[in-house]
Amino acid sequence: MKKSAFVLMTLAALAGTSSLALAQAGAQANEGVLTVATIGEPPTLDVMQTPTDIVLTIDQHIFETLYTYDAQWKSVPLLAAGMPTLSEDGLTYKIPLREGVTFHDGSAFDAKDVTASLKRWMAINSKGKQVAGIVESLTEDGDHAVVIKLKSRYAPLLATLSQASVILPSEKIADTLTEFVGTGPYALKERKPDQYIQLVRFDDYKSPEGEISNYAGKREAIAKEIRFVPVPDANTRVEGLISGQFDYADSLPVSAYERVEGSGNAKPVIFKDAGWASMNMNMKEGLLVKKELRHAVQAALNPNDMMLAAFSDDRFFSVDGSIFPEGSFWHTDAGVERYGEGDPEAAAKLLEEAGYDGTPLRLMTSRQYEFHYKIGEVAKAYLEAAGFKVDLQVVDWATLTTRRADPKEWDIFITHSNFPGDPTTINTITDTYPGWYVSDQKAKAVAAYMDATTDEAKKAAWEGIQTVIYDDAPLYKVGNFNAVSGLANGVEGYEPTYWPHFWNVSPKK
Amino acid sequence: MARIAQALLKRLGGMAIVLALVVTVVFIIVRVTPGDPAAVMLGSDATPEDIAQLRTRLGLDAPLLMQYGQFVLGILQGDLGQSIFLNQPVTTALAARAEPTFFLTLFSILIAVAIALPVGILSAVRRGTIFDQIVVTLTMVAASVPSFWLGLILIQVFAVGQGWFPASGYGGPGTSFIERLHHLVLPAVALGIVNSALITRFTRAAMLDVLGDDYVRTARAKGAGEARVILKHALKNALIPIITVIGLSVAMLVAGAVVTETVFGLPGVGNLVVSAVLRRDYPVIQGALLVVAAIYVLINFIVDMLYILVDPRVRQ
Repeated sequence: MKKSAFVLMTLAALAGTSSLALAQAGAQANEGVLTVATIGEPPTLDVMQTPTDIVLTIDQHIFETLYTYDAQWKSVPLLAAGMPTLSEDGLTYKIPLREGVTFHDGSAFDAKDVTASLKRWMAINSKGKQVAGIVESLTEDGDHAVVIKLKSRYAPLLATLSQASVILPSEKIADTLTEFVGTGPYALKERKPDQYIQLVRFDDYKSPEGEISNYAGKREAIAKEIRFVPVPDANTRVEGLISGQFDYADSLPVSAYERVEGSGNAKPVIFKDAGWASMNMNMKEGLLVKKELRHAVQAALNPNDMMLAAFSDDRFFSVDGSIFPEGSFWHTDAGVERYGEGDPEAAAKLLEEAGYDGTPLRLMTSRQYEFHYKIGEVAKAYLEAAGFKVDLQVVDWATLTTRRADPKEWDIFITHSNFPGDPTTINTITDTYPGWYVSDQKAKAVAAYMDATTDEAKKAAWEGIQTVIYDDAPLYKVGNFNAVSGLANGVEGYEPTYWPHFWNVSPKK
Repeated sequence: MARIAQALLKRLGGMAIVLALVVTVVFIIVRVTPGDPAAVMLGSDATPEDIAQLRTRLGLDAPLLMQYGQFVLGILQGDLGQSIFLNQPVTTALAARAEPTFFLTLFSILIAVAIALPVGILSAVRRGTIFDQIVVTLTMVAASVPSFWLGLILIQVFAVGQGWFPASGYGGPGTSFIERLHHLVLPAVALGIVNSALITRFTRAAMLDVLGDDYVRTARAKGAGEARVILKHALKNALIPIITVIGLSVAMLVAGAVVTETVFGLPGVGNLVVSAVLRRDYPVIQGALLVVAAIYVLINFIVDMLYILVDPRVRQ
């Protein structure tokens, strides 16, 4: 009897708190809080060390880079006061810095912070390390300019200075960051792992000027506070958005589109060409070392069917042979003739010519990203129709990332990427990325790109690289996919971007 | 008394052996599972050189025997290691997540017992009636329903439809204790209903076993009221299997709230374990599983002690 009474009293007390919590939620909204449901907890807030999407999404509100990307994914000034002055030999970049910018701790931003931050970035970040190999010197030129001298021309320099190369106060720099202080429109107030990351408006924020274009242009911290809440379950993100608990829910399943649209409380948001799916081939060991067999894979696959299986509706994907999507400065049809519609007969002929002996093709994919798995299933069917014997290996993502580092373990793995600001930062182009794409014609094409100093010359060189990629076939581009997220009714000013950002966004009233 | 002390010591020795086995088995399992924390941490852009460097920094390239030795030595000093991802001691990470898991377990078992005991007893007393048949059917259905599915239904009805409870999380900055508990209502109900099924069935079966016994008939013959016969004479004698199943349910809830915590976005121990497995955060996996195993063993120990309290025959 006593136990039952206790249970009833506890339940009654809990039910009584519901009105209290709802009243508080309303009060928070009036004070301008944006609650953002993310796909999970970021492993760290040190974006130099771990430049993954979730870290970049949160960190871009706290930290800023010298340059950032506009709508065409070209680099434009952010903490830099303008584009760099380039010496005639294309080896020396003088970058002017904005004045009057302060960090969240009140210290002034100057050239010393830039050199100290970029040195840390070149020591620990994978892209930074590539740059470090090219940089001869990095020096301050007074308080408001820095000079970067290169050993050889390096066309992607500004693109690499637009992502993860964030500027920290020189006094706070350490091997392991313990304080997360930046110049961004929001400052970190509290992080409770797996519960929330609380950012508050930085009242002394000095915004860059200019028209808003992707991440470029004026930034205004309208909401007093942004809370990033990790919600790993996609269905819970959907329901939390519809119930009004979240103002924005990231990465929703495409199957939730109609439910969000029909809820009357929120609307689905599509960000076109959020990324591209690819099947990366092993050029170092195994079956696909033979170029003819990689060409057979190219000929066998049907990108439309694979994308349709993965995303179920053409509102959520597009099929395009150009590695960069339409609208991007780098979009080109150079070399895309090999991007076919699935011709098993032509593939079978190539297999015969290559003397394929029936060795199983190990196709590795993961269910952590469901679309990877579905692409794998359709690919298997097409490859088998062409005459390949396919061993589809479904593993979790952590296993896949470990196995793909060993060239003995696989022939193809399925992955996806975003569209980087510079074409040469595509992983596959790197010699050491799993797949180990090393070829003389690639090296020549990339060298021509690195040597280019004007946009036109870079574009022409990129066309050469894309043509070579289709001929060498280190990967098979499957297609571009759109990202679906959800925005609560009443939230205004949100513009979809690859890493969703919430400056310039007004919370519900 | 000496016998009880001897049994107690024997039990404690058994517990130590079980925990030592858990420590070793978990250490081996996490390391033979493919997947590298350094690769996961650095993301898809990482080069093999970056991964190798981070492995060295994290001490993951040390010989396995040395890592095992350090792990065991740490445990003996009360140190479960340092989380690779959270950059904080595992004990701190576990302590920060103990509150939601503890209260979720507590409320779930309270709900389960509050449903199961009266329903199970009544079902046994009214054996063969429509009420009994409905209870048997419903408990079968409830036992078959996955708690995450029930959780999603509860979210749709009570969070989205009625707006009475939050759909996810454990409250934002400055949330009071009562508000945090408010976030636990739906997950606790989901887990409580599913667990009530097993306890109801055990209660019903245990009561049916004793209701036909001589001492129950004797109590009735002596003119004891029906409530006294059922609650004092029958229930007391049926308690041992019921306590066993409640104890097992609590132990399973501590370990089994993993999926429910993930669905409801609760920052509890279960959620921590899931994230740690996906990230291959070895120290957290090891530490959390060791703590869960210790709780499991401790609950079984408490259940054994309860037998002594409720059954004089065990004392002898």
